[in-house]
Amino acid sequence: MDTTLSNVDNEPQAAASSTKGWYNSKTFKRFRRNPLALVGAVILIFYVVVAAFAPQLTAGRLGRSCIRDLQANRDARATLEQDLVNPLHPIFWRAIAWSPASCFQVPRQSFIEVPTAPSREYPLGLTGGSYDIYYGIIWGARSAFYIGVLVTGISLALGIIVGGSAGFFGGWLDNILMRFTDTVYAFPNLILAMVFATIFGPSLQNVMIAIALVGWPSYARILRGDILRVRAQDFVDGARALGAKSPRLFWKHVLPNALGSLIVVASLDIGAVVLTAAALSFLGIGADIGFADWGQMINFARSWIQGPPGRPFAYWYVSFYPGLAIVLFVLGWNLLGDAFRDVNDPYSNN
Amino acid sequence: MFAFIVRRLFMLPIVIFAVSVIIVGLLQLLSPIQRASAFARSEQQLREDNIDAIIRQYGLDENFFVQYGKWAGAALQGNLGFSRSSSEPVMVTIRKRLPASAELAFLALLPVIGMGIFLGTAAALKRDTFIDQFTRVFAIVGWSLPTFVFGLWLLIFFYGGFGLFGIGRVSNRFVTEIALGSIDTPTGFMLLDALLAGRLDLFFDALLHLVLPVTTLAVVSGAQIMRVMRSSLLDALSQDYVRTAKAKGLPKDVVNLKHARRNALIPVITLSGVAFAFLLNGVVVTETIFNYPGLGSWAASAAVQLDIPAVLGFALLTAVIIVVANLLVDLLYAAVDPRIRYS
Repeated sequence: MDTTLSNVDNEPQAAASSTKGWYNSKTFKRFRRNPLALVGAVILIFYVVVAAFAPQLTAGRLGRSCIRDLQANRDARATLEQDLVNPLHPIFWRAIAWSPASCFQVPRQSFIEVPTAPSREYPLGLTGGSYDIYYGIIWGARSAFYIGVLVTGISLALGIIVGGSAGFFGGWLDNILMRFTDTVYAFPNLILAMVFATIFGPSLQNVMIAIALVGWPSYARILRGDILRVRAQDFVDGARALGAKSPRLFWKHVLPNALGSLIVVASLDIGAVVLTAAALSFLGIGADIGFADWGQMINFARSWIQGPPGRPFAYWYVSFYPGLAIVLFVLGWNLLGDAFRDVNDPYSNN
Repeated sequence: MFAFIVRRLFMLPIVIFAVSVIIVGLLQLLSPIQRASAFARSEQQLREDNIDAIIRQYGLDENFFVQYGKWAGAALQGNLGFSRSSSEPVMVTIRKRLPASAELAFLALLPVIGMGIFLGTAAALKRDTFIDQFTRVFAIVGWSLPTFVFGLWLLIFFYGGFGLFGIGRVSNRFVTEIALGSIDTPTGFMLLDALLAGRLDLFFDALLHLVLPVTTLAVVSGAQIMRVMRSSLLDALSQDYVRTAKAKGLPKDVVNLKHARRNALIPVITLSGVAFAFLLNGVVVTETIFNYPGLGSWAASAAVQLDIPAVLGFALLTAVIIVVANLLVDLLYAAVDPRIRYS
């Protein structure tokens, strides 16, 4: 009796063996051999590094309130700028791990309304209103990951609740939940997020909630399918025969074995989430003006489509650099996502 | 086939009901006074002494079911509230701006579908040749270009740099003429109205104004369809029936285009429902970039100005469009694949 019990509690063997030696697994080997996937991975690693080291990369450009908030409890023997780029100083690591909200605000260099061309001091130039484009792009990477990871996490939780109950309990609940899911799924996500954000009121938090409320249907669908598959397996029947109750059955036996593909799909969605947030921000819905966010940086460029007479492309940098930042970011995610689909596609063997 | 259509048509009111419940549900997050603005018919009604009357009339301080009933009654009569951002009833603005958006979306659909299907076919049939590599790069780049970046870059390059194409729907001189009533616009579709009025100059002007928005939408949406077409045709080409058809000695084009491509179209049609929703997202952004006076740019500016009735009216309309589009996709699906009709 004892041995059977412990057997039931173990994960199925297939799942256990696939996690061992993942580096040499067939799937990962195929992934490694795909050059486009590697390009995607390199791009994203670059963005992760930029986002992580944003305080260091912009050490000399931080706004006044950001400096004040960073300096809390610091003995000021060296300037903040020096401490910030010194890995031996605790503030180096504290700034990476946690940065105050004020640092996400792009400092204004002056109040000149016309954009300023790139120079040694401002390598990517200033937008109209003198927001530093370099600062906005660097901290924009940080806010992109912040928004992307948090929103995807909330969406995932919603998807697990809806898809999990639909797949696990089945019956009329499944029917109602999945029809509701289909309705939300069919709706254009940007438009629905726009509606939610308008009702909740304009702020970054509300926009994030709005995007999360739009993103869950695809997760619910995937999870429901996987749960139906797992639920039909023998070890679940075994656990039930041993008297496991529904909650335990769901949390310990079914869900852990059904989550695998969902986690991959969801993590590859981070790029799409960032894109939706940027699009809303471009439309003027979301964070306050000056928040380091690529969508808003591109929105700034809308006022500077034409240069002064005779120099039509004089303000190219206002739209080019933020645009490039977001295009490369999305490209990285898409290359990675494409490669994952290829790897998991049994037809792509040849 | 008839039973299939009836069954699908039955879904239409259900989905619209679900969306309307969500809309009225969302309204519950607001105070009755804020909610009242979603029911007013004119600017005057929004004045403070009239707000109470609206709250009473529509039962805005009563429970959800009463509110839903009264809201639905008003909506069925075509009253979706008053839009502050356009200073007229929501329904009037929708009627005025819908043709412009429809014109843009339809014109964009043609290149999206055409490009998607033909380039996708070419890529699959000439696998690993130049055309395949070209479409692969094109697809990845196109798919990665956010609408708002690509559209803005096009605008800056062509309009800002060389003064080509232009923003808005028509040039200023035509805007004046239309406002003065010297050109009739009975349908609201500018291209059609221009032809009806016999004004070729207006026709070409409107056409030029559509070039950049249509390109923006087509490149971003078409890339996806192209990739699905390619992989699904590759899939079909490896099937036994294709080999059989070839073994029978049928000409290559007949096998490729009649046997394989027709079957390969099924996933493409499935996708096109999703692609259409994606296109509507793009319409909102594209219209905003190009100052195109359609529903999308109106909804975006309404959202910024917290004009709730306008945004909700737009959402409801989007729901109707999506349901109808999915219905068309289903019908197309049934027409292409007899198995669906009989199941």
